[in-house]
Amino acid sequence: MNAERLKALALPVGLLIVLELWARSVDIHSDALAPPSAVLLALFNAFGDGSILSATRDTLASAFAGLVVGGAIGLFLGIALGIFQPLDRLMEVTIESLRPIPSIALLPIALIALGFGYRMEIVIVAFACVWPILILSRAAVRSIEPRLIEVSRALRLSPGDRIRKIIIPAALPRIFLAFRLAAGIALIVAVTVEIAINPIGLGAGIMIAQQALRPDLMLAYLLWIGLIGYALNAGLLAAQQHLFGPAALAGEVR
Amino acid sequence: MNWALTLWRLASFAVAAGLIALWQLIANLKLVSPVFLPGPDRAWAALIRGFSNGTLLDKTIGTLEHMFYGWLVASVVGIALGAMIGSSKAMRSYVAPSLEFLRPLPVSAIIPVAIALFGLTQGMALFVIAFGAIWPMLLATIHGFGAVEPRLYEVARSLHMSRLAVIFKIALLSASPDIISGMRLSLTVSLILAVVCEILAGLDGLGHWVLLSARAFRSPDLFAGVILLGVIGYVTALAMSMVEARLLRWRTSGH
Amino acid sequence: MTSVALRKDISSAQLEKSHIAFSQVTLDLGGKTIIENVSLDVKPGEFLCIIGASGCGKTTALRLAAGLYQPTSGHVSFDGEPMRAPRRDVAIVFQDYGKALLPWRTAAGNVALALETIGMPKAQRPARIDELLKKVGLPNHADKYPAEMSGGMQQRLQIARCLAQEPKALLMDEPFGALDAMTRQGLQDEVLSLLDASKATVIFVTHDLEEAIYLGDRVVGLLPHPGRIGIDLPINLPRPRDQLTTRENPEFLRLRRELFDFIKASEA
Repeated sequence: MNAERLKALALPVGLLIVLELWARSVDIHSDALAPPSAVLLALFNAFGDGSILSATRDTLASAFAGLVVGGAIGLFLGIALGIFQPLDRLMEVTIESLRPIPSIALLPIALIALGFGYRMEIVIVAFACVWPILILSRAAVRSIEPRLIEVSRALRLSPGDRIRKIIIPAALPRIFLAFRLAAGIALIVAVTVEIAINPIGLGAGIMIAQQALRPDLMLAYLLWIGLIGYALNAGLLAAQQHLFGPAALAGEVR
Repeated sequence: MNWALTLWRLASFAVAAGLIALWQLIANLKLVSPVFLPGPDRAWAALIRGFSNGTLLDKTIGTLEHMFYGWLVASVVGIALGAMIGSSKAMRSYVAPSLEFLRPLPVSAIIPVAIALFGLTQGMALFVIAFGAIWPMLLATIHGFGAVEPRLYEVARSLHMSRLAVIFKIALLSASPDIISGMRLSLTVSLILAVVCEILAGLDGLGHWVLLSARAFRSPDLFAGVILLGVIGYVTALAMSMVEARLLRWRTSGH
Repeated sequence: MTSVALRKDISSAQLEKSHIAFSQVTLDLGGKTIIENVSLDVKPGEFLCIIGASGCGKTTALRLAAGLYQPTSGHVSFDGEPMRAPRRDVAIVFQDYGKALLPWRTAAGNVALALETIGMPKAQRPARIDELLKKVGLPNHADKYPAEMSGGMQQRLQIARCLAQEPKALLMDEPFGALDAMTRQGLQDEVLSLLDASKATVIFVTHDLEEAIYLGDRVVGLLPHPGRIGIDLPINLPRPRDQLTTRENPEFLRLRRELFDFIKASEA
């Protein structure tokens, strides 16, 4: 495995070294590029004065809140549609009409209704998160082993009990996967809203750095955003493996 | 059983129509301020108005153009690059892990870099959209090319097929289901980034239109724009599905 | 011996030259010696069957003959020339036929693949494709996709594609192993009649002893770990072969006994 690891690192490390040497030797005066060392320094300073941490907090808070709201709605609808097929058929046109609307298109509506700030961002993130969670939890409920449903009938469980004791636990691995994917979407949408218009969070931070013609700080934000995205995904993946084991989701999308 | 499906489909439309009627009711009763929520009647009127005087058509075409140019560039580069990387085991070891690392990165974060490089121009939008749309395509193509049945490569060796023939006749077609699903995702990404770039850079398109309508508190125009964006999303996804069904006929047939 | 002819008339001069030759071939893979010091001469037009217990290296030997592997020592030659890479005129019929066919091409398309690579002009291809598909018993299936065909049909399609290569030699790796007994017997006879017309040399790997005797002019048995030649039996049974009469022939039964004892001993 070690050889594979080294190979994986070869390209990025090599690239960084080349960039550093080139940037230093050419002494670039660019608004877009900065030597990796300067980027790291800017990142370090941004930590020092707390700016990037509060921005991170803002972005993650909005993303998380939006994920919770959108996830709750999506989960509720997804399970309902998964259990009651007639309901699913009736709602088909409505859902297929609303789904293709890019969440970012709602930005101006949310803007005039709620103004700048957290609420507007949470609404847009929630809208974006509803769909993947709805679709995937519906699929999760539908793919529950029919034998388990028969067992619940044989035991004469009440609907509430059936949902709580059989359906949700059985569908849980896939539902967790849905939330994992939606978490990534939540982060992306939150950052996008901030870049487009909202003056809070990491997105605003990176835009301000660009406007202030500080490429080192801008790239530092970019690097940090990438690390957050990676850490979020890796963390949730680890949680998934830990909670459900690799076998439970064999063949699923990473 | 086709008539049963049709009945359900009709009932589904009825439900949707009912929800629209509910919307109209809420608007008429002014439960939400008409500044934020126009009734469907006013939104529809704005839609008609916008098309009859040509503005909305221009904006729609503007957004579509942004979307497609970026998506096209991304497709060509993504597939070509993906083919190269995916068909070589060595390159996969070196390159694929870095790409996997970059996968969860929010692509919109490249926008400020693009602005620094190109300013608030069409070029910036093209760069951003192409950059964002490349990732799904690239990753899917690499995966597809890496998953070609090895037996087919042996058949190719036995037949003495040229390198080019192997790529086009075997690898590319074997990877086509993956490539096409990558293209679908890329289309979605292209639309989103097109709207964001239009909002940021004031480029001509539906994104800019909805922003201006919002600033001027012209909510019927705003809703008309949002509806159109949904339509674009729907129609492009549908077109992609049709292409996929046609090209991947061989998958659905048989046991 | 002269009353028993090889499958077709071969001039005595050709009988002397070997078509495919293994010369003290050893192959090491992954630290293990798979086959060791194997020397084998296959005459032009000969139908050679290779049998042996699991893990004796018979598939490996076939892949060496195909040029898919290169020997660690010794050499494999075809028509006197060393076999450094697969040759277009040496066709390989794989056991996992499903994986060796292009799922996105129809039956006609799959056969066409071979015709495209041998450079047949486009106009001539449809006729040749029809001819080949008829030969293997798939006359009306030109537009079907492999996924729509049964296992036996897919294997026939693979054979058709191999025949399209105009092969001088046909290497078959347990081609009927994944099929049911009835289909297998039908295909055995079809292969024999197909090869009647052509002068192709055949190396046929199988774990089915009776199949080997039924089809072959000669059966070579490999001993396992590492693979070495343990037995080399000429099959003096009359041609054309028949599923009932040939299998009841006392010579058939004698050969069957001999090979059975060989396998039992080699597994011990």
